[in-house]
Amino acid sequence: MSERDTHVAELREIVAEVLELEPEEVADTADFVEEYEADSLRAIEILARIEKKYKVEIPQAELNEMRSLKAVHEVVARHAGWQD
Amino acid sequence: MRLGHGELRALLPHRYPMLLLDRVDSVEPGVSLEAVKAVTGCEPCYRGIAEGQGPDRYAYPASLLIESFGQGAAVLWLLSRGPGTTGLPMFTAARDCALLRPVYPGDVIRHRVRLEQVVHGAAFATGSSWVGTDQVAEFGSMMAVVRPADAVAERKR
Repeated sequence: MSERDTHVAELREIVAEVLELEPEEVADTADFVEEYEADSLRAIEILARIEKKYKVEIPQAELNEMRSLKAVHEVVARHAGWQD
Repeated sequence: MRLGHGELRALLPHRYPMLLLDRVDSVEPGVSLEAVKAVTGCEPCYRGIAEGQGPDRYAYPASLLIESFGQGAAVLWLLSRGPGTTGLPMFTAARDCALLRPVYPGDVIRHRVRLEQVVHGAAFATGSSWVGTDQVAEFGSMMAVVRPADAVAERKR
């Protein structure tokens, strides 16, 4: 598994747990709000878990962007300095 | 730091019958708190129970136990904030919580609350509740967000 795959799998796990889904139900580009009826509180919870797990700080302004697993990975990679 | 009932009332907007903490025995702001809730047969949740019901009927409702723990978490968060911070915590989500044994009238519940993370206007707490040496509940993650006080509580006139 490449480092990128590991990160995506970990993020998928976090998103699935917060949205109360199975990890395999979380598609890479599915919109959290439209596909899984997520709300702003779930978004904050996802953000908080990511910050805790990877010890990164992500500005709240990025929340609006973090609407799919793919987008979450991009935002986190940028702030955590991942070379994914 | 120890907080009596009056001090809890000054911190929390909750009142009878939803103020579900009696006392705070110790607080380390930003870290942890230990709070006490005594359950009695006078609680409104036991009103109107028909005569002759079994002991199970008098188990303290899980929803109220969780709320009581959550109020402990709210007090801890409120005491952990910087001066001049406004807004009240509103409980939004509980995850990985387990109720391990029922609580009955006469039991004194002790909540041990730890503040895990405060981020983006949200706080996350974990902890456990005890009656004597028996653990009655485990709280994996309790989330609250801050909302303006006048959206939550009636303004004092």
